[in-house]
Amino acid sequence: MKNKLERTFEQILDKNKQKIYRICRIYAVAPIEPQDLFQEVVFQIWKSLESFKSKSSIDTWVYKITINVCLRSKLKLDKKNTKTERFESIHIVPIAQEIDASELEKFKYLKECISTLNHTETSLILLYLDDLPYKEIATITGLSDNHIAVKMKRIRKKLFECITPKLK
Amino acid sequence: MNVSPQNLNKMLEQEIKDIWSNSSRTAKISIETNQLVEELNANVNSIQKKIRIRDVREITASIIGMLIFGYLLYEIPFPITKLACSFSIAWFAFVIYKSRKSKKQNSKTNLSLSMTEQLAHQEITMQQQANLLDSAAYWYALPSFITNLIFIIGLGNPTDYNWTNSIVNSMLPLSINFKIFTLIGLTFFYGFTIWINKRAANKEVKPLLENIKTIKKQLQKE
Repeated sequence: MKNKLERTFEQILDKNKQKIYRICRIYAVAPIEPQDLFQEVVFQIWKSLESFKSKSSIDTWVYKITINVCLRSKLKLDKKNTKTERFESIHIVPIAQEIDASELEKFKYLKECISTLNHTETSLILLYLDDLPYKEIATITGLSDNHIAVKMKRIRKKLFECITPKLK
Repeated sequence: MNVSPQNLNKMLEQEIKDIWSNSSRTAKISIETNQLVEELNANVNSIQKKIRIRDVREITASIIGMLIFGYLLYEIPFPITKLACSFSIAWFAFVIYKSRKSKKQNSKTNLSLSMTEQLAHQEITMQQQANLLDSAAYWYALPSFITNLIFIIGLGNPTDYNWTNSIVNSMLPLSINFKIFTLIGLTFFYGFTIWINKRAANKEVKPLLENIKTIKKQLQKE
C-alpha cells in the first residue's frame, strides 16, 4: 500500500522522467553517464520531497533540482562525483534503432551547438527548449523576466548561427 | 514564396524545439516505483550510517587524545608539562568543535533553491572551506606544535621529583637528544600538515570557487 508521499513521487517521475533525462544527457560528462545523473536527480527529489513547499509548482521545483544537480556534477562540486552503483529499479534502454537516422543526426548537431555555450547559457537554453515561459525560467534561475528575455535573445542567436549551416 | 527573416527564425526555433523534444524518444525509461523507494531509502540510510561512523571515528580519535593527555596531566609531576597537557586537552576539544561546525555548514545543501541562490550558497560554503584549509596553520598546526613544544621543554629529571613510572618514562623524550629529535620530527610533521592543507585549498577548493564566481558573473551579465 503506497502512502501519499510515494504516490506523489510516482506521479512526479511519470510526468517528468523524460525531461529530466533529456537535461541529464546534455550535462553528463565521462565517466558520469546520463543514467548516473538521472539517478542522482531522482534521489534528490525523493530526499527533498517531504520538505517541498508549494511556493512554486512541482514542475518548477523538479527543474530546479535537476538543473542544480546537473550543474553541481559538471562543476565537480559533489565529492561522490564518480560512477555510482545503479539502482535496479530504473531501466533506461536506448531505442536508437527505432529512430530515424536523420533525427539522431539532428540531435547530435543540437548537442554540439549547446556544448559551445557556457554553463549559464546551457541551463537557460535547455529550459527554453522545453517551452517554459520566461516567468518560470526566472523562478528556476532566480533572475528577473527582463534579464532572461535579454539573455535569451543573445543565446538564441548564438544557437541559430551554429545550427543553421548544420541543418541545411 | 518569400519568407520573412522573422518567420524563418520562428520556423528554425520550432524545428530545434522539435529536435529537442524528440530526443526523448531515443531511450525508454521504466521505473519500478516500489522497488525504487526501497532502494532510495536504503541509500539514505547507508549515507547516514557512513556519516555517523565517520563522525564517531573522528570524535573517538580526539577523545583518545584527551584521555592520554588527561592521564599525563594526572601522572606527570613537571608543572610546565602539566600546563601543556591542559592546553592539549583544550585543543582536542576545539578541533572537535571546529570540525563539527564545518560539517554542519557543508551539509546544508538545498537543491530546491533557485540557481542563483544555490550558487551564492555554494560560494559561501566553498569560501569557508578554502579559509579553513588556508588557515590550518593557525588553528590546527601552530597551537598543537606550541603545546607539544611546551610539553617537551617542560619535561625535567624524574628523580628531582621522586617520580617513577617506567612505562611513561620510557615513552617520553627525557634526554636532550631525544627532545631535539622529537622536535625535529614534529616540525616536519606539522610542516607537512600545513602544506597538504594549502595544497587541497589551492588545487581542489579554489578552482571550484573560481568556477562558481564565473557562473555567477555569467548569470548577472545581461
